[in-house]
Amino acid sequence: MRKKSTPEGLEPVDALEAKSLPMAPRGIRSGLRLNIRGRSVHLRGLRRPPGGVLRWLAILGPGLIATSAGNDAGGIATYSQAGAKFGYELIWVMLILTLSFAVVQEMCARLGAATGRGLLDLIRERFGIGWALFAVAVILVANGGVTVSEFVGIGAAMELLGVSKYIAVPAGAIIIWYLVIFGSYAKVEKIFLGMTLVFFAYPVAAILAKPNWMEVARGAFIPSLRADPAYILIVVGLLGTTITPYIQIFQQSSLVERGVARRHYGPEKVDAYVGAIFSNLMSISMIIATAATLYVVGHRDIETAADAAKALEPVMGSSATVLFAIGLLGATLLAGAVLPLATAYAVSEAFGVPKGVNLDFRRGKVFFSLFTALIVVAAVLALIPGLPVIQLLVGVQVLNGILLPIILVFIVLLINDKRLTGDLKNTKRNNVLAIGTLVLITSAVLVMLGSQLLGLFGG
Amino acid sequence: MVMFSQLRRCSITDEQGGRARLLDLSVALLEADYPPVTSLIFLKQKSQKHFLPWSAVQSFEPEDCQIQVENLKASKPLRQSSLGKDVLLGDHILDALVLDLQNRRSTRANDLWLETHDERLELRAADTGFQSMIRRLSGGRYGRMSRSSRYDWKYVEFLRGDPEAVRNGEGYHLRISRLPAGEIARLTDMLPYLHAAELITLLPDAKAVQALQALSPERQLQVFEELKEDQALALLTLMAPDIAADLLGRLPTKLMRSYLEKLPEKQSERVVELLHYAEDTVGGIMTNDVIYLRANLTVGKALESLRESLKEPAFVFIIYIVDNDKSRRLRGLLSLRNLLTSKADQKLEEIMDPYLTTLDPLSPAVEGAYRVIDSHVAALPVINKEGRLLGIVTVDAAVAQVAPPDWRTQAPRIFS
Repeated sequence: MRKKSTPEGLEPVDALEAKSLPMAPRGIRSGLRLNIRGRSVHLRGLRRPPGGVLRWLAILGPGLIATSAGNDAGGIATYSQAGAKFGYELIWVMLILTLSFAVVQEMCARLGAATGRGLLDLIRERFGIGWALFAVAVILVANGGVTVSEFVGIGAAMELLGVSKYIAVPAGAIIIWYLVIFGSYAKVEKIFLGMTLVFFAYPVAAILAKPNWMEVARGAFIPSLRADPAYILIVVGLLGTTITPYIQIFQQSSLVERGVARRHYGPEKVDAYVGAIFSNLMSISMIIATAATLYVVGHRDIETAADAAKALEPVMGSSATVLFAIGLLGATLLAGAVLPLATAYAVSEAFGVPKGVNLDFRRGKVFFSLFTALIVVAAVLALIPGLPVIQLLVGVQVLNGILLPIILVFIVLLINDKRLTGDLKNTKRNNVLAIGTLVLITSAVLVMLGSQLLGLFGG
Repeated sequence: MVMFSQLRRCSITDEQGGRARLLDLSVALLEADYPPVTSLIFLKQKSQKHFLPWSAVQSFEPEDCQIQVENLKASKPLRQSSLGKDVLLGDHILDALVLDLQNRRSTRANDLWLETHDERLELRAADTGFQSMIRRLSGGRYGRMSRSSRYDWKYVEFLRGDPEAVRNGEGYHLRISRLPAGEIARLTDMLPYLHAAELITLLPDAKAVQALQALSPERQLQVFEELKEDQALALLTLMAPDIAADLLGRLPTKLMRSYLEKLPEKQSERVVELLHYAEDTVGGIMTNDVIYLRANLTVGKALESLRESLKEPAFVFIIYIVDNDKSRRLRGLLSLRNLLTSKADQKLEEIMDPYLTTLDPLSPAVEGAYRVIDSHVAALPVINKEGRLLGIVTVDAAVAQVAPPDWRTQAPRIFS
């Protein structure tokens, strides 16, 4: 507290008059000089967002975090599997997906800014309760599946560290539930995020593993198509894990949460694009790192998390497994908390029931029940003995890929509704890209379903 | 009583034996607490939506689900303009966000209850329960009618999600303006920002200002930018200068300047004065909407001159005594209670408290905030080097400064 040299408050103010009060101005920030009503005034109290580099960090931060957290257990499993099984052959898919992902992410951001509402909200309002329930079912299946895969991931990560999953998964579920419900989640989130920084080792590993760059370039620019059901399955898995329905809902609601207004929509576009490119670069480096370490030595099938960890050996040597486990644990704990939370939010919104972790249970029955049920069911399913971890993780991504077109159709319909989006409606070019993405994904899913059916009957 | 989900299965017949299936109903929201149905919308020749006014209905039997009209051929094709300000029950109200004022929450209507009354069919209640959802999905076949999830339409406000709707003169109950501003603000927290802006646009200015002041700074800005200029100016004029300064300071420079130019001179000057101080200083959290009186006034004269200044929203609990209006040097302070209970011929300087604890406008905001909180008074005065009264930091502003971020908007503002 400031010490005053005068006995302030002890003598009448007149007696203090003679000695002027000490006034040491602190470092004064430069303000803005403006001419208002013919008077030049100096305004220092403008509450402006930071400019320059800081401004971009503030804008890009959330998107980067969201997308790098998107590289969760299922993502790592699918990209690793793609690299181990087919080497560099699938990189071209990722390049196309980058464009599609960027377009879809940007549309969701725009939809959020233009309407101030979440995706399920808009579906309920525009298409009625029947379609809303259908969308909720799709989201519950997709997100529920991913939540299961996160708990499987928690189990796998802890087993790498030598802890049985029968202890780790229930403990993880309780910790997540407690942190979210009792409000200290926001603080812990940063620790989880920090743990995922391990995965920045992938780009380094991809280079240190000395891949055959000619092969990489061929995989990236010369599309290969195979009639192999396993190949098609992995392609749909890549679709599902890159453009996950959950990420879109998250993207849209995060814009709504941040309070981006339709008048100021713009920088968020860059956020969406940079986020998409960044996250896919990470994914591609995972594929390259795995291909260069496992595929080339003929290790073609990843069955456990320990196999996947081998891709990091060029950087981390013998500690690769432990570090991989830490990264995986961070990513899965993060997604294991965010997914049930985001799902409970979105569903409560669609049904118009109170939502938010600040409610007491009596008022937020639906919200809390959903959140709790998602975690409990996911944790229980993840504990089924003898689960083929990697196959399950990839399978969930394939399921996401199958459900993706449904959500995309809603997004495209909503963003083209001028009553909702006004000036932020899709442009022609946007629509061409969006519908192209939709057609591409739908046909991939159909081909996959067809080939699986053929395999079923033919085999 | 009949449910909208069941009504939608009803068929319309006419004397010539024509048949059509009812699609939707329009109501005149503007007219009454329980808006009357104004027209029937149905499909004609498979694809074209047609409508008939409710006056064409000859008989309506909810039990048999039969609506008898004079002549179906007299209907006109439905266009956007053909219903005027009337609203469609199915297209607009069902599934949209409505405010349930009895429970102070936002919700979505799964079904609607209608009742016949004086030959008219009226919208009586919104149903938000689980059973009504089943009823909707089954086209009115299943789902019990439950009274517990039914909300009297009189206390339901239907929002369109567009502030423009208010300016177009669409119908609202406006019962929400009877709630305390804080409750309105908490209600808007549950809404998307366009709905919140619609609600604020809807309220009378005095209430709108209080509600707007109680919103979080981010929300405030979002809502404010959706307002039209005349309303924005009216609200800024009524707003506490410290909140107006915080709000204007967040706007783009050009916009801020234009508002400062157009505001009434007194308010504009107050706001500009506050904008001199950086956000993290005592000056940044003070307000200059204070009542001050000259020390040589008598109590009687003082009370007389207060009559004018008390009309405006200002901090009234403590009256600051200054030497004269020009230099405004702070001499002491006086509580309103003391002033009201003193004899009329006493001079203010005789009854004022000359022992002052003051704040420096350039010292850190947090430090000043703690001094206000620790001193357990409603506010501490802020003076400059010359002893001139610049403003006060109220205990509300102090608490808001030191409270954890998610508490800030919830901390009540009682003194300003």
